[in-house]
Amino acid sequence: MSTSPLLLAMLGDARLPSGGHTQSAGLEPALRAGLTPAGVPAYLRSRLRTVTRVEAGTAVVARAVAAGGGDLAEVEAAWAARTPSPALRANGRRLGRGYLRVLQTLWPGPVDARARTWSRPVVLGLLAHRAALAPADVARLVGYDDVQTATAALLKLEPQDPLLTAAWVNGLLPDIDEMAAQVARLRTPEQIPAHGAPLIERWAETHDTATERLFSA
Amino acid sequence: MPENTTATAPVRAMRLGVAGPVGTGKSSLIATLCRALAGELRLGVITNDIYTDEDARFLRSAGVLDPERIRPVETGACPHTAIRDDVTANLLAAEDMEADFGPLDLVVIESGGDNLTATFSPALVDAQLFVLDVAGGGDVVRKGGPGIARADLLVINKTDLGPYVGVDVARMAREGREAREGSPVVALSRHDEASVRTLTDWVRDALTRYRTGNHAPVDPGPMAPHFHADQDAGDAGDAHPHTHAHGPTHPDGTTDADGTADAHHGHAPANAGHGA
Ligand SMILES: Nc1nc2c(ncn2[C@@H]2O[C@H](COP(=O)(O)OP(=O)(O)OP(=O)(O)O)[C@@H](O)[C@H]2O)c(=O)[nH]1
Ligand SMILES: [Mg+2]
Repeated sequence: MSTSPLLLAMLGDARLPSGGHTQSAGLEPALRAGLTPAGVPAYLRSRLRTVTRVEAGTAVVARAVAAGGGDLAEVEAAWAARTPSPALRANGRRLGRGYLRVLQTLWPGPVDARARTWSRPVVLGLLAHRAALAPADVARLVGYDDVQTATAALLKLEPQDPLLTAAWVNGLLPDIDEMAAQVARLRTPEQIPAHGAPLIERWAETHDTATERLFSA
Repeated sequence: MPENTTATAPVRAMRLGVAGPVGTGKSSLIATLCRALAGELRLGVITNDIYTDEDARFLRSAGVLDPERIRPVETGACPHTAIRDDVTANLLAAEDMEADFGPLDLVVIESGGDNLTATFSPALVDAQLFVLDVAGGGDVVRKGGPGIARADLLVINKTDLGPYVGVDVARMAREGREAREGSPVVALSRHDEASVRTLTDWVRDALTRYRTGNHAPVDPGPMAPHFHADQDAGDAGDAHPHTHAHGPTHPDGTTDADGTADAHHGHAPANAGHGA
Protein backbone atom coordinates (compact mmCIF):
# COMPACT_ATOMS: atom_id res chain seq x y z
CA MET A 1 0.00 0.00 0.00
CA SER A 2 1.43 3.35 -0.96
CA THR A 3 0.49 6.78 0.28
CA SER A 4 0.50 9.95 -1.74
CA PRO A 5 3.59 11.85 -0.61
CA LEU A 6 1.45 14.99 -0.71
CA LEU A 7 -1.00 13.58 1.82
CA LEU A 8 1.88 12.97 4.19
CA ALA A 9 3.22 16.46 3.52
CA MET A 10 -0.15 17.99 4.27
CA LEU A 11 -0.61 16.08 7.51
CA GLY A 12 2.94 16.89 8.59
CA ASP A 13 2.59 20.57 7.82
CA ALA A 14 2.49 22.78 10.89
CA ARG A 15 -0.24 24.81 9.19
CA LEU A 16 -2.71 21.95 9.53
CA PRO A 17 -5.13 23.44 12.08
CA SER A 18 -5.01 20.70 14.70
CA GLY A 19 -3.72 22.68 17.67
CA GLY A 20 -0.04 21.76 17.23
CA HIS A 21 1.20 25.29 17.85
CA THR A 22 0.37 24.91 21.55
CA GLN A 23 2.93 22.10 21.88
CA SER A 24 6.67 21.88 22.57
CA ALA A 25 7.11 18.07 22.68
CA GLY A 26 8.21 18.40 26.28
CA LEU A 27 10.95 20.86 25.38
CA GLU A 28 9.77 23.81 27.48
CA PRO A 29 10.06 21.97 30.82
CA ALA A 30 13.19 20.15 29.61
CA LEU A 31 14.98 23.46 29.02
CA ARG A 32 13.78 24.69 32.37
CA ALA A 33 15.26 21.58 33.96
CA GLY A 34 18.65 22.34 32.43
CA LEU A 35 18.70 20.90 28.91
CA THR A 36 20.82 23.14 26.67
CA PRO A 37 19.82 24.05 23.10
CA ALA A 38 22.84 22.11 21.82
CA GLY A 39 21.41 19.03 23.51
CA VAL A 40 18.15 19.16 21.58
CA PRO A 41 19.09 16.68 18.79
CA ALA A 42 20.09 14.12 21.43
CA TYR A 43 16.89 14.86 23.35
CA LEU A 44 14.89 14.18 20.19
CA ARG A 45 16.75 10.90 19.52
CA SER A 46 15.88 9.82 23.06
CA ARG A 47 12.23 10.63 22.42
CA LEU A 48 12.24 8.72 19.14
CA ARG A 49 13.46 5.65 21.04
CA THR A 50 10.97 6.00 23.89
CA VAL A 51 7.80 8.10 24.18
CA THR A 52 7.55 8.93 20.48
CA ARG A 53 7.97 5.28 19.59
CA VAL A 54 5.07 4.44 21.91
CA GLU A 55 2.96 7.10 20.16
CA ALA A 56 3.90 5.89 16.69
CA GLY A 57 3.30 2.25 17.63
CA THR A 58 -0.09 3.17 19.02
CA ALA A 59 -1.05 4.99 15.82
CA VAL A 60 0.02 2.03 13.67
CA VAL A 61 -1.96 -0.41 15.82
CA ALA A 62 -5.00 1.88 15.91
CA ARG A 63 -4.90 2.02 12.13
CA ALA A 64 -4.79 -1.79 11.91
CA VAL A 65 -7.57 -2.22 14.46
CA ALA A 66 -9.75 0.37 12.68
CA ALA A 67 -9.12 -1.40 9.36
CA GLY A 68 -10.19 -4.70 10.92
CA GLY A 69 -13.33 -3.22 12.46
CA GLY A 70 -11.99 -3.79 16.00
CA ASP A 71 -12.52 -1.77 19.17
CA LEU A 72 -10.24 1.26 19.39
CA ALA A 73 -11.00 1.62 23.10
CA GLU A 74 -8.60 -1.31 23.63
CA VAL A 75 -5.87 0.57 21.80
CA GLU A 76 -6.62 3.65 23.89
CA ALA A 77 -6.27 1.59 27.07
CA ALA A 78 -2.96 0.15 25.88
CA TRP A 79 -1.67 3.68 25.13
CA ALA A 80 -2.81 4.97 28.52
CA ALA A 81 -1.08 2.07 30.29
CA ARG A 82 2.15 3.08 28.53
CA THR A 83 1.76 6.80 29.29
CA PRO A 84 2.23 7.04 33.05
CA SER A 85 2.07 10.85 33.31
CA PRO A 86 -1.51 12.09 33.83
CA ALA A 87 -0.49 15.44 32.34
CA LEU A 88 0.71 13.75 29.16
CA ARG A 89 -2.43 11.65 28.97
CA ALA A 90 -4.63 14.73 29.32
CA ASN A 91 -2.57 16.58 26.73
CA GLY A 92 -2.65 13.63 24.33
CA ARG A 93 -6.43 13.49 24.61
CA ARG A 94 -6.80 17.22 23.97
CA LEU A 95 -4.70 16.78 20.86
CA GLY A 96 -6.87 13.82 19.90
CA ARG A 97 -9.91 16.11 19.88
CA GLY A 98 -8.03 18.50 17.62
CA TYR A 99 -7.29 15.72 15.13
CA LEU A 100 -10.86 14.49 15.39
CA ARG A 101 -11.99 17.87 14.01
CA VAL A 102 -9.55 17.44 11.12
CA LEU A 103 -10.80 13.89 10.53
CA GLN A 104 -14.48 14.77 10.63
CA THR A 105 -14.03 17.71 8.27
CA LEU A 106 -11.63 16.21 5.73
CA TRP A 107 -12.69 12.54 5.87
CA PRO A 108 -16.21 12.63 7.25
CA GLY A 109 -17.93 9.47 8.36
CA PRO A 110 -19.45 7.86 11.43
CA VAL A 111 -17.18 7.74 14.48
CA ASP A 112 -17.52 6.01 17.81
CA ALA A 113 -19.17 8.24 20.43
CA ARG A 114 -16.15 7.69 22.70
CA ALA A 115 -13.76 9.09 20.09
CA ARG A 116 -13.84 12.50 21.80
CA THR A 117 -11.95 10.97 24.70
CA TRP A 118 -9.29 9.24 22.63
CA SER A 119 -5.70 10.31 22.45
CA ARG A 120 -3.97 11.74 19.43
CA PRO A 121 -2.25 8.49 18.29
CA VAL A 122 -5.53 6.58 18.39
CA VAL A 123 -7.37 9.26 16.43
CA LEU A 124 -4.43 9.50 14.03
CA GLY A 125 -4.66 5.74 13.48
CA LEU A 126 -8.33 6.10 12.63
CA LEU A 127 -7.51 9.00 10.35
CA ALA A 128 -4.77 6.94 8.67
CA HIS A 129 -7.27 4.19 8.00
CA ARG A 130 -9.87 6.60 6.56
CA ALA A 131 -7.35 8.55 4.50
CA ALA A 132 -5.55 5.39 3.31
CA LEU A 133 -2.24 6.34 4.87
CA ALA A 134 0.23 3.42 4.98
CA PRO A 135 1.31 2.09 8.40
CA ALA A 136 4.93 3.19 8.04
CA ASP A 137 3.74 6.63 6.95
CA VAL A 138 1.54 7.26 9.96
CA ALA A 139 4.53 6.25 12.12
CA ARG A 140 6.75 8.63 10.13
CA LEU A 141 4.16 11.35 10.63
CA VAL A 142 4.24 10.91 14.43
CA GLY A 143 8.05 10.96 14.49
CA TYR A 144 8.35 13.93 12.15
CA ASP A 145 5.72 15.91 14.03
CA ASP A 146 7.53 15.34 17.31
CA VAL A 147 10.86 16.54 15.90
CA GLN A 148 9.37 19.59 14.17
CA THR A 149 7.29 20.49 17.22
CA ALA A 150 10.32 20.59 19.52
CA THR A 151 12.57 22.48 17.12
CA ALA A 152 9.86 25.03 16.30
CA ALA A 153 9.28 25.52 20.03
CA LEU A 154 13.02 26.01 20.57
CA LEU A 155 12.89 29.04 18.27
CA LYS A 156 10.37 30.61 20.64
CA LEU A 157 12.03 29.50 23.89
CA GLU A 158 15.75 29.96 23.09
CA PRO A 159 15.99 31.67 19.71
CA GLN A 160 18.55 30.08 17.38
CA ASP A 161 19.32 30.40 13.70
CA PRO A 162 16.21 28.74 12.22
CA LEU A 163 18.40 27.15 9.55
CA LEU A 164 20.41 25.44 12.26
CA THR A 165 17.29 23.75 13.62
CA ALA A 166 16.14 22.90 10.09
CA ALA A 167 19.49 21.17 9.61
CA TRP A 168 18.91 19.23 12.85
CA VAL A 169 15.54 18.05 11.55
CA ASN A 170 17.14 17.00 8.29
CA GLY A 171 19.80 15.10 10.21
CA LEU A 172 17.12 13.28 12.21
CA LEU A 173 15.12 12.06 9.19
CA PRO A 174 16.98 8.70 9.08
CA ASP A 175 16.23 8.21 12.79
CA ILE A 176 12.55 8.87 12.12
CA ASP A 177 12.53 6.37 9.25
CA GLU A 178 14.28 3.78 11.41
CA MET A 179 11.75 4.23 14.24
CA ALA A 180 8.89 3.98 11.74
CA ALA A 181 10.28 0.76 10.28
CA GLN A 182 10.44 -0.75 13.75
CA VAL A 183 6.76 -0.19 14.51
CA ALA A 184 5.21 -0.42 11.02
CA ARG A 185 4.30 -4.10 11.31
CA LEU A 186 2.58 -3.96 14.70
CA ARG A 187 -1.06 -5.05 14.62
CA THR A 188 -2.42 -5.62 18.12
CA PRO A 189 -2.51 -3.52 21.32
CA GLU A 190 -0.21 -5.83 23.30
CA GLN A 191 2.49 -5.37 20.65
CA ILE A 192 2.73 -1.62 21.31
CA PRO A 193 6.17 -0.92 22.78
CA ALA A 194 6.28 0.20 26.41
CA HIS A 195 9.39 2.34 26.67
CA GLY A 196 9.33 4.88 29.46
CA ALA A 197 11.26 8.13 29.76
CA PRO A 198 10.96 8.95 33.47
CA LEU A 199 12.53 12.40 33.26
CA ILE A 200 10.29 13.47 30.39
CA GLU A 201 7.29 12.21 32.32
CA ARG A 202 8.35 13.99 35.51
CA TRP A 203 9.03 17.26 33.67
CA ALA A 204 5.59 17.02 32.08
CA GLU A 205 4.05 16.83 35.54
CA THR A 206 6.00 19.86 36.77
CA HIS A 207 5.08 21.81 33.67
CA ASP A 208 1.41 21.10 34.13
CA THR A 209 1.34 23.23 37.27
CA ALA A 210 3.69 26.01 36.07
CA THR A 211 2.01 29.41 35.81
CA GLU A 212 4.49 30.81 33.31
CA ARG A 213 4.56 28.85 30.12
CA LEU A 214 4.26 29.34 26.40
CA PHE A 215 3.24 25.77 25.58
CA SER A 216 0.66 23.37 26.97
CA ALA A 217 3.15 20.49 27.12
CA MET B 1 -19.77 37.02 0.06
CA PRO B 2 -21.74 33.93 0.97
CA GLU B 3 -22.60 34.20 4.62
CA ASN B 4 -24.34 31.50 6.51
CA THR B 5 -27.23 32.80 8.50
CA THR B 6 -28.79 30.22 10.69
CA ALA B 7 -32.52 30.13 10.31
CA THR B 8 -33.19 28.56 13.68
CA ALA B 9 -32.04 29.74 17.07
CA PRO B 10 -28.51 28.49 17.88
CA VAL B 11 -28.17 26.01 20.72
CA ARG B 12 -24.86 27.16 22.12
CA ALA B 13 -23.70 30.37 23.75
CA MET B 14 -22.65 33.30 21.62
CA ARG B 15 -18.88 33.59 21.43
CA LEU B 16 -17.54 37.13 21.58
CA GLY B 17 -13.90 37.81 20.73
CA VAL B 18 -12.00 40.73 22.23
CA ALA B 19 -8.83 41.64 20.30
CA GLY B 20 -6.51 44.63 20.16
CA PRO B 21 -2.91 45.61 20.91
CA VAL B 22 -1.22 44.95 24.26
CA GLY B 23 -2.47 46.99 27.18
CA THR B 24 -5.39 48.72 25.48
CA GLY B 25 -7.73 47.47 28.21
CA LYS B 26 -9.16 44.16 26.94
CA SER B 27 -9.11 42.42 30.33
CA SER B 28 -10.50 45.51 32.06
CA LEU B 29 -13.29 45.72 29.48
CA ILE B 30 -14.16 42.06 30.08
CA ALA B 31 -14.21 42.69 33.83
CA THR B 32 -16.54 45.65 33.20
CA LEU B 33 -18.81 43.47 31.03
CA CYS B 34 -18.92 40.72 33.65
CA ARG B 35 -19.70 43.21 36.38
CA ALA B 36 -22.55 44.69 34.35
CA LEU B 37 -23.98 41.50 32.87
CA ALA B 38 -23.30 38.68 35.35
CA GLY B 39 -26.68 39.28 36.99
CA GLU B 40 -28.64 38.72 33.78
CA LEU B 41 -26.45 36.46 31.62
CA ARG B 42 -24.63 33.19 32.22
CA LEU B 43 -21.02 33.98 31.32
CA GLY B 44 -17.72 32.25 30.70
CA VAL B 45 -14.33 33.79 29.88
CA ILE B 46 -11.32 32.34 28.07
CA THR B 47 -8.02 34.21 28.08
CA ASN B 48 -5.08 33.77 25.72
CA ASP B 49 -2.12 35.01 27.67
CA ILE B 50 1.12 34.99 25.87
CA TYR B 51 3.43 33.90 28.62
CA THR B 52 1.52 33.59 31.89
CA ASP B 53 -1.98 33.20 33.16
CA GLU B 54 -1.84 36.84 34.24
CA ASP B 55 -5.08 37.87 32.51
CA ALA B 56 -6.98 34.92 33.96
CA ARG B 57 -5.61 35.76 37.39
CA PHE B 58 -6.49 39.43 37.02
CA LEU B 59 -10.05 38.57 36.05
CA ARG B 60 -10.40 35.99 38.80
CA SER B 61 -9.14 38.48 41.37
CA ALA B 62 -11.56 41.12 40.08
CA GLY B 63 -14.22 38.95 41.69
CA VAL B 64 -16.69 39.57 38.90
CA LEU B 65 -17.22 35.94 37.97
CA ASP B 66 -16.82 32.49 39.50
CA PRO B 67 -13.04 31.86 39.10
CA GLU B 68 -13.80 28.45 37.57
CA ARG B 69 -15.47 30.19 34.66
CA ILE B 70 -12.29 32.00 33.69
CA ARG B 71 -9.80 29.75 31.92
CA PRO B 72 -6.44 30.47 30.32
CA VAL B 73 -5.31 28.79 27.09
CA GLU B 74 -1.65 28.56 26.03
CA THR B 75 -0.94 29.80 22.55
CA GLY B 76 2.66 28.68 21.97
CA ALA B 77 3.76 32.31 21.66
CA CYS B 78 1.37 32.72 18.73
CA PRO B 79 -1.67 34.67 19.96
CA HIS B 80 -2.40 35.49 16.34
CA THR B 81 -2.48 31.82 15.28
CA ALA B 82 -4.68 30.82 18.20
CA ILE B 83 -7.51 33.11 17.16
CA ARG B 84 -7.30 32.79 13.41
CA ASP B 85 -5.05 30.28 11.64
CA ASP B 86 -5.58 27.42 14.07
CA VAL B 87 -8.42 27.99 16.51
CA THR B 88 -8.41 24.42 17.87
CA ALA B 89 -7.22 25.17 21.42
CA ASN B 90 -9.70 28.01 21.91
CA LEU B 91 -12.57 26.13 20.34
CA LEU B 92 -11.99 23.13 22.62
CA ALA B 93 -11.78 25.43 25.64
CA ALA B 94 -15.07 27.08 24.67
CA GLU B 95 -16.71 23.67 24.21
CA ASP B 96 -15.38 22.47 27.57
CA MET B 97 -16.58 25.63 29.29
CA GLU B 98 -20.08 25.02 28.00
CA ALA B 99 -19.94 21.32 28.80
CA ASP B 100 -18.88 22.08 32.39
CA PHE B 101 -21.11 25.06 33.15
CA GLY B 102 -23.71 25.07 30.41
CA PRO B 103 -26.04 26.25 29.36
CA LEU B 104 -24.27 29.59 29.01
CA ASP B 105 -25.39 32.73 27.21
CA LEU B 106 -22.05 34.29 26.39
CA VAL B 107 -18.46 33.07 26.21
CA VAL B 108 -15.96 35.92 25.93
CA ILE B 109 -12.54 35.09 24.46
CA GLU B 110 -9.69 37.54 25.09
CA SER B 111 -6.93 37.43 22.53
CA GLY B 112 -3.38 37.83 23.75
CA GLY B 113 -2.49 41.43 22.93
CA ASP B 114 -1.15 41.47 19.40
CA ASN B 115 -0.77 43.79 16.46
CA LEU B 116 -3.31 45.64 14.33
CA THR B 117 -3.82 42.71 11.96
CA ALA B 118 -4.80 40.13 14.60
CA THR B 119 -8.50 39.37 14.31
CA PHE B 120 -10.65 36.38 15.14
CA SER B 121 -11.71 33.71 12.66
CA PRO B 122 -15.47 33.29 12.27
CA ALA B 123 -14.77 29.60 12.94
CA LEU B 124 -14.14 30.64 16.56
CA VAL B 125 -16.32 33.65 17.38
CA ASP B 126 -19.73 34.93 16.38
CA ALA B 127 -18.83 38.57 16.94
CA GLN B 128 -15.72 40.50 17.87
CA LEU B 129 -14.60 43.74 19.46
CA PHE B 130 -11.38 45.47 18.54
CA VAL B 131 -9.97 47.58 21.37
CA LEU B 132 -7.68 50.59 20.94
CA ASP B 133 -6.89 53.17 23.57
CA VAL B 134 -6.35 56.90 23.39
CA ALA B 135 -2.99 56.53 25.13
CA GLY B 136 -1.71 54.59 22.12
CA GLY B 137 -2.06 57.80 20.10
CA GLY B 138 -4.82 59.46 18.12
CA ASP B 139 -3.23 58.34 14.87
CA VAL B 140 -3.72 54.61 15.46
CA VAL B 141 -7.27 54.59 14.02
CA ARG B 142 -5.89 56.09 10.83
CA LYS B 143 -3.42 53.23 10.49
CA GLY B 144 -6.36 50.99 9.74
CA GLY B 145 -6.26 47.22 9.53
CA PRO B 146 -8.92 44.54 9.47
CA GLY B 147 -9.81 44.88 13.16
CA ILE B 148 -10.22 48.64 13.05
CA ALA B 149 -12.10 48.60 9.76
CA ARG B 150 -14.32 45.56 10.12
CA ALA B 151 -14.60 44.22 13.66
CA ASP B 152 -18.26 44.21 14.73
CA LEU B 153 -17.49 46.98 17.21
CA LEU B 154 -14.46 49.26 17.53
CA VAL B 155 -13.77 50.37 21.09
CA ILE B 156 -11.68 53.48 21.70
CA ASN B 157 -10.83 52.96 25.33
CA LYS B 158 -9.54 55.06 28.23
CA THR B 159 -11.13 58.26 26.97
CA ASP B 160 -10.55 59.72 30.47
CA LEU B 161 -6.86 59.86 29.56
CA GLY B 162 -7.37 62.07 26.49
CA PRO B 163 -6.38 65.37 28.13
CA TYR B 164 -3.23 63.85 29.64
CA VAL B 165 -1.91 62.40 26.40
CA GLY B 166 -2.95 65.26 24.14
CA VAL B 167 -5.48 63.26 22.12
CA ASP B 168 -8.70 64.77 20.78
CA VAL B 169 -11.06 61.91 21.68
CA ALA B 170 -13.99 63.19 19.62
CA ARG B 171 -11.81 63.41 16.55
CA MET B 172 -10.36 59.93 17.16
CA ALA B 173 -13.88 58.47 17.40
CA ARG B 174 -14.96 60.34 14.28
CA GLU B 175 -11.97 59.07 12.31
CA GLY B 176 -12.74 55.60 13.59
CA ARG B 177 -16.27 55.87 12.18
CA GLU B 178 -14.89 57.12 8.88
CA ALA B 179 -12.43 54.22 8.66
CA ARG B 180 -15.36 51.86 9.30
CA GLU B 181 -17.77 53.44 6.88
CA GLY B 182 -20.31 53.94 9.61
CA SER B 183 -19.95 50.67 11.54
CA PRO B 184 -20.26 51.23 15.28
CA VAL B 185 -17.58 52.78 17.46
CA VAL B 186 -17.76 53.17 21.23
CA ALA B 187 -15.62 55.75 23.02
CA LEU B 188 -15.23 54.03 26.38
CA SER B 189 -13.91 54.73 29.82
CA ARG B 190 -14.61 52.56 32.78
CA HIS B 191 -15.01 55.80 34.71
CA ASP B 192 -17.81 56.95 32.39
CA GLU B 193 -21.05 55.16 33.24
CA ALA B 194 -22.86 56.25 30.09
CA SER B 195 -20.14 54.80 27.87
CA VAL B 196 -20.23 51.51 29.78
CA ARG B 197 -23.99 51.38 29.17
CA THR B 198 -23.45 51.93 25.45
CA LEU B 199 -21.05 48.98 25.43
CA THR B 200 -23.30 46.64 27.38
CA ASP B 201 -26.30 47.62 25.26
CA TRP B 202 -24.33 46.74 22.16
CA VAL B 203 -23.49 43.31 23.62
CA ARG B 204 -27.15 42.69 24.51
CA ASP B 205 -28.20 43.66 20.99
CA ALA B 206 -25.56 41.42 19.44
CA LEU B 207 -26.79 38.54 21.60
CA THR B 208 -30.37 39.16 20.50
CA ARG B 209 -29.33 39.20 16.84
CA TYR B 210 -27.33 36.01 17.37
CA ARG B 211 -30.24 34.27 19.03
CA THR B 212 -32.74 35.19 16.40
CA GLY B 213 -30.36 34.04 13.69
CA ASN B 214 -29.96 37.54 12.29
CA HIS B 215 -26.27 37.72 12.88
CA ALA B 216 -23.64 36.18 10.64
CA PRO B 217 -20.02 36.07 11.74
CA VAL B 218 -17.84 38.28 9.59
CA ASP B 219 -14.24 37.61 8.76
CA PRO B 220 -12.49 40.98 8.92
CA GLY B 221 -10.19 39.39 6.39
CA PRO B 222 -6.59 39.83 5.43
CA MET B 223 -6.84 43.16 3.59
CA ALA B 224 -5.43 46.04 5.55
CA PRO B 225 -5.94 49.61 4.44
CA HIS B 226 -2.69 51.39 5.25
CA PHE B 227 -0.56 54.41 4.57
CA HIS B 228 2.72 54.55 2.82
CA ALA B 229 5.42 56.29 4.81
CA ASP B 230 5.79 59.10 2.28
CA GLN B 231 2.09 59.91 2.46
CA ASP B 232 2.36 60.10 6.20
CA ALA B 233 5.03 62.74 6.07
CA GLY B 234 2.76 65.76 6.01
CA ASP B 235 -0.28 66.27 8.15
CA ALA B 236 -1.24 62.69 8.84
CA GLY B 237 -4.82 63.77 9.23
CA ASP B 238 -5.06 64.57 5.55
CA ALA B 239 -3.46 61.40 4.30
CA HIS B 240 -5.69 59.02 2.44
CA PRO B 241 -5.82 55.41 3.40
CA HIS B 242 -6.01 52.97 0.56
CA THR B 243 -6.47 49.30 0.27
CA HIS B 244 -4.43 46.83 -1.67
CA ALA B 245 -6.58 44.02 -2.92
CA HIS B 246 -4.64 40.92 -1.90
CA GLY B 247 -7.49 38.72 -2.95
CA PRO B 248 -11.07 38.35 -1.92
CA THR B 249 -12.11 38.49 1.67
CA HIS B 250 -12.38 34.88 2.77
CA PRO B 251 -15.92 33.68 3.08
CA ASP B 252 -14.90 31.36 5.85
CA GLY B 253 -17.17 28.74 7.26
CA THR B 254 -19.23 29.32 10.29
CA THR B 255 -19.35 27.19 13.34
CA ASP B 256 -22.32 24.91 13.52
CA ALA B 257 -24.28 23.96 16.55
CA ASP B 258 -22.14 21.08 17.78
CA GLY B 259 -19.00 23.11 17.58
CA THR B 260 -17.46 21.49 14.54
CA ALA B 261 -16.49 23.95 11.91
CA ASP B 262 -15.28 24.10 8.39
CA ALA B 263 -12.14 25.65 9.65
CA HIS B 264 -10.05 25.09 6.60
CA HIS B 265 -8.56 28.42 5.64
CA GLY B 266 -5.68 29.29 3.51
CA HIS B 267 -4.63 32.41 5.39
CA ALA B 268 -1.10 31.55 6.33
CA PRO B 269 1.50 32.68 3.84
CA ALA B 270 3.62 29.83 2.55
CA ASN B 271 6.66 30.73 4.62
CA ALA B 272 4.93 31.68 7.79
CA GLY B 273 4.75 28.41 9.66
CA HIS B 274 2.79 29.30 12.72
CA GLY B 275 2.43 32.92 11.78
CA ALA B 276 2.35 35.52 14.50
N1 LIG C 1 -7.48 55.41 32.70
C1 LIG C 1 -7.96 54.25 32.32
N2 LIG C 1 -7.18 53.16 32.40
C2 LIG C 1 -7.70 51.98 31.99
C3 LIG C 1 -9.02 51.86 31.50
N3 LIG C 1 -9.23 50.56 31.16
C4 LIG C 1 -8.09 49.90 31.45
N4 LIG C 1 -7.15 50.75 31.96
C5 LIG C 1 -5.79 50.41 32.41
O1 LIG C 1 -5.01 50.01 31.30
C6 LIG C 1 -4.03 49.05 31.71
C7 LIG C 1 -4.11 47.82 30.81
O2 LIG C 1 -5.39 47.23 31.00
P1 LIG C 1 -5.67 45.70 30.68
O3 LIG C 1 -7.14 45.51 30.84
O4 LIG C 1 -4.77 44.82 31.43
O5 LIG C 1 -5.27 45.66 29.14
P2 LIG C 1 -5.21 44.42 28.15
O6 LIG C 1 -5.56 44.91 26.81
O7 LIG C 1 -6.01 43.30 28.69
O8 LIG C 1 -3.67 44.06 28.22
P3 LIG C 1 -2.94 42.74 27.64
O9 LIG C 1 -3.79 41.57 27.99
O10 LIG C 1 -1.62 42.75 28.35
O11 LIG C 1 -2.80 42.96 26.17
C8 LIG C 1 -4.32 48.75 33.16
O12 LIG C 1 -3.42 49.47 33.95
C9 LIG C 1 -5.74 49.24 33.34
O13 LIG C 1 -6.02 49.63 34.66
C10 LIG C 1 -9.84 53.05 31.43
O14 LIG C 1 -10.99 53.05 31.03
N5 LIG C 1 -9.24 54.20 31.85
MG1 LIG D 1 -5.41 41.33 29.07
